[in-house]
Order: sequence, then C-alpha cells, then structure tokens
Amino acid sequence: MTGVPQWAYAAALAGLPLQTHTRLRRLLSLGSPEEMWNAITERSAPVPGVSADVMSVWRSTEQDAARRMEDLCRSKNIHVCVRGDAMYPDPLISDPRAPAVLFALGTLHPFTHRRVGIIGTRLATQSGRHFARVLGEQLTAENVSVVSGLARGIDVEAHLGSLRTERGAPPIAVVAGGPDVVYPREHESVWRNVVERGVILSEFPPGAPPEPYKFPLRNRILAALSEVLIVVESRSTGGSMTTVREAMKRDITVMAVPGSPHIKPSEGTNDLLRDGCAPVTCVDDVLVALGLDTRRVVKGHDGRTPPSAVGLRILDVMENLPRTVDEVALLAGMSVVDVAVSLGSLEAQGWVAQSDGWWEALTR
Amino acid sequence: MFAAITSATLTGTSGSRIVVESHVGPGIPAFTVVGLPDEGCRESRDRVRAAMLSSGLEWPNRRITINLAGAGERRGGAGLDVAIAVGLLVATGVIPAEAVHNVAFIAELGLDGSLRTTPGIAPLVASVADHDVVVSAAAVNEALIARPSRVRAVSSLCELVSALCAEAPWPDVDAESPRVVIDDVPNLSDVRGQPVARLALEVAAAGLHHMLMIGPPGAGKSMLAKRLPGLLPRLTHEEAFQVAMIRSAAGMTVQTELATSPPYRAPHHSISMVGMVGGGTAHIRPGEITLASHGVLFLDEMGEFAPSVLDALRQPLEERTVHISRAHSRVEMPAECLLVAATNPCPCGVAIRANCECAPVARQRYLRRFSGPLLDRFDLRVHLSRPSTNDLTGETKGECSEAVAERVAGVHNIARTRQGCVNSAITGDMLDDVAPLDDEALMFLRHHLDNGTLTGRGYHRVRRVARTLADLNGDAGVISQQWVSVALHLRARLETGVVHHS
Repeated sequence: MTGVPQWAYAAALAGLPLQTHTRLRRLLSLGSPEEMWNAITERSAPVPGVSADVMSVWRSTEQDAARRMEDLCRSKNIHVCVRGDAMYPDPLISDPRAPAVLFALGTLHPFTHRRVGIIGTRLATQSGRHFARVLGEQLTAENVSVVSGLARGIDVEAHLGSLRTERGAPPIAVVAGGPDVVYPREHESVWRNVVERGVILSEFPPGAPPEPYKFPLRNRILAALSEVLIVVESRSTGGSMTTVREAMKRDITVMAVPGSPHIKPSEGTNDLLRDGCAPVTCVDDVLVALGLDTRRVVKGHDGRTPPSAVGLRILDVMENLPRTVDEVALLAGMSVVDVAVSLGSLEAQGWVAQSDGWWEALTR
Repeated sequence: MFAAITSATLTGTSGSRIVVESHVGPGIPAFTVVGLPDEGCRESRDRVRAAMLSSGLEWPNRRITINLAGAGERRGGAGLDVAIAVGLLVATGVIPAEAVHNVAFIAELGLDGSLRTTPGIAPLVASVADHDVVVSAAAVNEALIARPSRVRAVSSLCELVSALCAEAPWPDVDAESPRVVIDDVPNLSDVRGQPVARLALEVAAAGLHHMLMIGPPGAGKSMLAKRLPGLLPRLTHEEAFQVAMIRSAAGMTVQTELATSPPYRAPHHSISMVGMVGGGTAHIRPGEITLASHGVLFLDEMGEFAPSVLDALRQPLEERTVHISRAHSRVEMPAECLLVAATNPCPCGVAIRANCECAPVARQRYLRRFSGPLLDRFDLRVHLSRPSTNDLTGETKGECSEAVAERVAGVHNIARTRQGCVNSAITGDMLDDVAPLDDEALMFLRHHLDNGTLTGRGYHRVRRVARTLADLNGDAGVISQQWVSVALHLRARLETGVVHHS
C-alpha cells in the first residue's frame, strides 16, 4: 500500500460502518489516519476506546478500501479535509463536536466571507418562500454567504435567491448525505449551481444516502458554520428547531421572521420571538446583527411591474395570509370572475403565488 | 305438433326479438331446450312443467324439443318461460294457432302457474313493439313505456289460456300513455357563499365539462354535485325514453311516467370494474356509467376507487359509448354522462393548506394515484374550501337552480346551433372557427405555455371552457383574455412533482 495519501485513509475511516463523529475524532487523535487504518485492517494492535463488537465489524473491511475511496473522491472531484488541514473551515476548528473529516464538493474558500444561516420548514407558505429567496439574494449581494441545507421549502429558496445574483458571496450548503447525493431529486439543478458558485459540505462520504438520523447531525454543522442563524418559517416541532438549539449551544445569534399566529408554519418562529430572539423583517436587520454598515445598502430594485389599482386593492385585502379566491372576492367586494382575472395577472407579474388553491401576496 | 312463438331476450340495454319453436312428437318422453340456452333458460323446463301441472293443464308425455331460433349466440333469461309454455299448448292443440299470431309473450312462470315480471321489460317490449305483447300484471307500467301496439296483462297461466282460447275476455289494462313527471332535485339556493364552486358548477352544466373538485372534508363537494342535475336542461322525450330503457334493463323500477330530471348516480368507491362500465357473465348488464347517461356520474373520494376502475372510464368518456366484448357476445351501450369527481387535497385533509401535516412526498403520492390521462379528461379542476362561518349562518340565500338552469339552457342552445354539439365536445380542428381568441388572450396563453404552467392538451381544454364562459356571459364572438384567464383559474395545477428552476 504505497502512494495512498493520508486524506484517503481519513476518508476511508469516515466511511466505515457504524462510524460516528465521536469515534472518528478519537481515532484520528490516536495517530495518523494511515496508522489507524492499518491498525484496524491488519489487526496489528487493539484500538483503545473502541468496543469489541464495533471492532469485529470494522475488521472485516478490505484493506484496499482506502485506495478505492481515493479513486472515488478524485473521480467525483470531492475534496476531503481533515481537521488540522489548512483547508479545514476555520469556524469549525474550535467546535467541540466538529466533524473530524469533511467532504466538500466545489471550491473551499468561502469561509473568508461573513456567513448567515437561513433555515426553515419544508412545508413553507408561498410568502415564506418568497421572503427566503429575497433575503438570500440581498445578503449575497451584500457579500454575505448564505448557509443552508438544500432541503425542500425555505432552505432551497434561500439558495435559489443567492444564485439569482450575478456576483456576490459564494453559497455554502451542508447536506445530510454524501455531497454528490442529490436529495430531493428535483433539486438537481440547484445542487449543480451551488457547486459551481460555492461549496456543498458533508461529513458523510460520497454515495452515502441521506438517512433520517443524519439530518440533526447535519444541522449542528450548519449552525456552527453560521454567524447569525435566521429561521424564516418553522413549526414548533420542526427540524429547524434542532438547528436553533445547536446554534444556542454555540452562542450564535438566532433571529426569526415574524408570521401570522393563525398558521402552523409560523408557530416555531413566533415562539422564538416570544423567547427573546430578534426579529427579521428586512435585510437591514441581519446586516445590523452582523455589525455591517447598512447605510450604503442599495435597496434592491424590484423588477416587477407595479400592480394596477385593482391589483393593489386585492394585495391589500390579502394581508399576507393564505387566502382562497372565495375569501378574496368577499374581502374585496368583487365578483369571482374579476378576482380570478386580477389574480391571474398579479401571478404573471410575480405579486402573488398559489399552492393548491390558496393564494398569498408576495409583498414583504 | 309444431308452434313458433315470438318473445325477446336482453343484451346490454336493448332487447332482441327471438322465435321460440316448439315441437311435440312421438318418442321416449323427454324435454330438451336447444339453441344455446343459458342456465336460466334450461331451468325453465322445470318451471314450465310445474306451472302447467299446477294450472290443471295436461303435460304432454311425449318427446318435446324447444329451439331458440337463430342458434349461434347464447341467450336466455327466465322471460322465455311463458313463450315456451304457450308453444307447448299450441303444439298439443290446446290453444288454436291463430290465437298466437302476432302476439309476443314476455314473462317468467312461477311454479304455481303465476306470471312474474323479468328485468328489462321496457327494452324487451320495444323490440317486439309491432306485436300485441303479453306481460305479467306487475309489468304493465314498464311495458307501456315502450308503446307497443297493445299490452295484455295477465296474472296466471290459467287466465292466459282461457283468454287465448276465447273462453274469457282479456283482463283490463289501464292503458295510460306515458306521462312526464318532474321530480325533486335539491336546489342550489341551499349553497351559501362559495362563489367559485357556484361558478364551476354553472360552467360544468353549461358546457358539460367534466369536473374534479379538490377540497377538504366539509367543503360541500357532494352537496354541490347533488345539485348539478337541477342545473342541467330537462331531458327531451327521446332522452327520457332512453333513460327509462336503461333503468329497466338494469332491473330498476320504472314507472309509466318518464322522469325528465337527469339521472344522478353516485356509486360507492368499492365498485368493481364490471359494476362501473357494465358486463357480466351470463347477462351483460349496464354499468353505472350507462345508468348515468344524460345525467351526472359522481365519484366521491376518487382516490379510493381502484385505479383499474378509474382508467376503464377513459375510453367510454371519450367515445360516449361503452363497448363490451365477451367470448359469446359484443354489446354497445350508451355512456353520455357528465363526470364529476371529488377528492381530498392530501391524506390529512386539513382545512387550511398551510397547516397541512403531510410530507410533500405524501401529498404528491396522493394525487399521483390518478393517472395523467384520466386527470386530463377533467376540463375543470377546482380547489374548494370550507364556506366561511358568515356564509353558513348568514340569512342571504344563494341564487336558485332555476335561474342558473335558464342560463345553462341558453348556452346549450347557442352551442347546438353554432357547432351542433356542446362546448366540451368541440373537436381540436373546430376550435379556431368556433372559439377564436383575440390577440391579448393568445399572448396570455402563450405566456403560460412557455412558463410550463399549461400543457399542450390543457391548452385545448382551457379554450373550450373559455368558450363556455364567454357564452354564459353573452360574448358570442371572439374570446377575450378575461375568459381565458378565468378558464385557466378553473383548471387548477396539481402538485404532482415540483421542479425548481434557478
């Protein structure tokens, strides 16, 4: 076994069955990755701190797995950084629960920028999605990196907004599978674009499927990488709350977007606000929290055609709540036909969006 | 020695005339029925024998052969019993042969010699309408619908024999001609609020556009569907006649009066494919789609129906007839109905979309149970929501069915004179002549086609619905953007998969 670099041994160790971040950190603190790998596969010496049954599973690993891991990472263009490497993200170095090995797809220099995490529920409202997208776009334009998880709903919208800018801080995504495993499938193009402009990080080796237990683990890295964490929409029991707890453990500022008390996607964020989190209503709030100058902020030009008088009236009565056409017609005192026509043109102009017959104004 | 008696058998929803030949000759006593009889018909040997004996008639102890003339196709039914019995009595000389000339017999025999009715009396009688028709007393009303030259009603074999032998007069028949009745359909004025649902119902009725209602429990989906027959135009005499024939063929009770309100059928979701489109082994019987002809077929909880049952609806809906092919027969039955289906938006069925607990994948999977081609048959796909408390408790009643029905009938007339069919039946090549778009409307649809929010197939459907909307509002000519926009609104996009573009 010659010519296999140290990082490949580290990656192979990270890819062992039953591997946890605690075990991996301990293994790598005992010796160089190569020594530990040989200790496991050649059965040369007992490894302290690893129980016998885990060891018996590990010992059945083939020794050239390290070489195969090297080929895999090289062919997929995945960079492996071990804690202590020059390329290892600075914000994680001092973290007590940091992953000992990180797999990165894309370019690894974004950690020189300011970083804001934007997270939220998968079952987001249309206006929540719109808010996340606009926030992602404005922060990126202000040269702040957006950190998010590329999940459905708020997560992906934040990055979609970030990718809408022509230049700006690179996006950072932390995912729960291998960095090359696109999940969910429909995010394939976003995935590609994030890799092109920024980086996708994961503590799991290429090919690892995203499993339910991995999402909370992913959330701790996401929290640790953020300087400020913003929850756009979340139910009180949502997965975003685990990220919030991880952030609070690390003394990271958590901010929340206020929402209507009538709908569940605002439950969690409103709880956070009641508990004393600062509210986010526009990009300035975030920039102030980061200690950045907001005076030079050029308010993003809203490219949408201004709505007509009737359109404004409809946007006004919708009050940022999901509404049915029946409700809008009743509130605006207009016929269904007129409301349908106006909503149609408002939708074409990007002022409203609907899902399953519920319409929301995108004005925030 | 020999007799030929006219009777009829039922296939699908129509009767066909048949001649029952009887031969009584010398030989070892036996009783055989030939000519591909079915099980029910072979059993008639025993019924006929018992009925004749209990009626005090002599059983010919000779070699008896019954032939259902026109062999080659399996047929039968208990309705041939009386024809067989009369044939034997003519062949043995009990009844004079002249007495059965130009008379058809359609009834089942009881072991005590009484006459009983059989399913499908109306279409059976219609197939021998140029004859005097003898039926059981209970079947008179149904037989009169088919308007034969004369109906004779008897209650027992004895009575029949004495009437044929001219020993007694025929029993009196209340020969009332079919009357028209208007029966009660729930009124639309009971529906409070819900303007979108009202609009969709009106459009569905005016253009006979198939409609899918998507809404949480309590949104009034079945309530709305039940009111749809009241919005459709009353049945014409021919339609009412056809509906009565179908009902009779399905063994349902039919009165002398022709009902002019369109039929409303709401089968339970456990229905089998044969129950839906028709079929059966011995007898081919009409299914729910045929029973709903000229009316409304409502499928509540469409997601709970077996996918094969739903997909079997596709071809009949398109061709407006059902073709049933079996090894022994091929049958064509009408299937001209307005399909209305209802489904929850997701498994949890919560009233407010934002509060739904279902995972995105679960929601997609729920709607993906319906095949694309089936969903495409629905010109109208409407999201419904629960009516607000103000609407429910308010004093104001909605517009009544009669006012809406008047507008609907107007559109039907406009459509029939313009293109000879209802708006939903406009063919693709006729669209440009019949439903031309103005420039603005065309641009609007272009935008949606480019956007991916409208498919090529949806494009034609939206234009048909826009035609109906314009007709309803008195815009007979070129269709403006307004109606296209509303039509698009009534064709909800279903979240069967989300694709993000960056």
